[in-house]
Amino acid sequence: MKKIKIRIEGLNFFYKKKPVLKGLKGEVEEKAITTIIGPSGVGKTTFLMVLNRLYESIPGCMVEGKVEIELNDRYIDVHRLPVTTLRKKVGMVFQVPNPLPMSIFKNVAFPMRLSGIKDKKSIKDKVKQSLKDAFLWDEVKDRLNDSALELSGGQQQRLCIARAMIMQPEVLLLDEPTSSLDMEAALKIAELLKSLRGKCTLIVVSHYTSLTRRISDSVLTLKDGCLEI
Amino acid sequence: MKPFIEKFAEKGFLFSAILSASITISILSFMLFFSLPLFKGGEVAEFFTFGWNPYEGRFGILPMMAGTGIIAFLALFIATPFGIGCSALISVFPKQSFGIFLRKAVEFMTGIPTVIHGFVAIFLLVPFIREIFEKGTGICVLSASIMLAFLILPTIVLFLSDAFNAVPKSYLDAADSLGATPVQKLIYVIIPSTWKGIISGLVLAAGRAVGDTLISLMIAGNALQIPRGLDDAARTLTAHIALIIASDYESPEFKSIFICGLILFFFTTLIVLFLRLLGHFKILRDR
Repeated sequence: MKKIKIRIEGLNFFYKKKPVLKGLKGEVEEKAITTIIGPSGVGKTTFLMVLNRLYESIPGCMVEGKVEIELNDRYIDVHRLPVTTLRKKVGMVFQVPNPLPMSIFKNVAFPMRLSGIKDKKSIKDKVKQSLKDAFLWDEVKDRLNDSALELSGGQQQRLCIARAMIMQPEVLLLDEPTSSLDMEAALKIAELLKSLRGKCTLIVVSHYTSLTRRISDSVLTLKDGCLEI
Repeated sequence: MKPFIEKFAEKGFLFSAILSASITISILSFMLFFSLPLFKGGEVAEFFTFGWNPYEGRFGILPMMAGTGIIAFLALFIATPFGIGCSALISVFPKQSFGIFLRKAVEFMTGIPTVIHGFVAIFLLVPFIREIFEKGTGICVLSASIMLAFLILPTIVLFLSDAFNAVPKSYLDAADSLGATPVQKLIYVIIPSTWKGIISGLVLAAGRAVGDTLISLMIAGNALQIPRGLDDAARTLTAHIALIIASDYESPEFKSIFICGLILFFFTTLIVLFLRLLGHFKILRDR
């Protein structure tokens, strides 16, 4: 039987008192790729930001309803978890790649630094593995100390996925990860996402259906602020 | 062809830049011109000695140089961490209403005349310092440094909070999404990416600390000695200029003002160069 990773019930989201998401209800399967599609401005990104509470840094946002994540066989409301713990369990990759202004190595190792891990060998090994998992190792292995900002858009996006995956989050949210890339880079990302299926739960927001539909296990449609399965 | 407004703005900016550069160069030339006879006559060496006693013909300004350096450095040392902390509260931490209030308060601080700072220090800070050291009058290097730190704090805070606000949102989103706490975001993302802004803020603050006259005149003690402790009195170059400016134009005391001015110029240049070098090395190290 398929395990449910995220349960959403009666989720309402308001921005400056205006409703964006209305009574959302749905479930996300564990270790599968779930794609959320829908027209522009319908609240797809907002929905992702609710899952890891990134909306909290934007003034004027208000959330009602239940969003539960399964951790160690227990469902916990995301709002009851400390926000930094939640974000380490629920990683996010943005539409436009956002490497930090530091070297490739330091970028990927950044989450380990945040977790207080100091063992150099362990950091080195994990960075290497993460870059390999993101199909980026061969392209950057000789220039790990170069600035991550010098990479191409597609490479930067894979670097961001490697960075998000290094601490093995339980859920990875991807907000239109291919929309700012050319077709070749987008295909690489799609292949990468397929390879991550089974390692963690992936929720991909996409404006374009063709590419993501091919790799998705299930598709949820967000329309007029409501989810349709 | 460029529209008139663009041409006008271009010329206007050029004129402003040339004017401000010329004023700085003119001030430097003015001081060089008046101190040149001292250099030529070999009298200049007399100023770089420890004793100042015009009645005995001794015009050493080394104690004032030491006083300036020590008080300015201490003020910067005290103000920098507070400045970073306040700027972080204004720009990084999520309590928006508190940040807005704090920024308004800091902006208000910039408008308080220096003499008020000195006045308040005499009644509130100096007795407190006297109690701590249990000796002396409390008018000393520490009192002057603390009050000077308070005076330069708004410069640092306003500069830094603007620099912190200019950090690209993508960097902040990346850090947030990886579970960084506000403090981690500040240390690992915001400070490294605003290094240049921090240096510029510190350069301005250091310039103000070296150049301020009234605070040191009122609460540093004006003693003609090299301070050996925080509770010792000291005289800064600016306070020294203010104290002897009324003397005879032809007297060596008066002539020493120009040397003091040149040294102040040199001090500020040295601080700017040091902080810029620090920034340069930091950028190189981060590559």
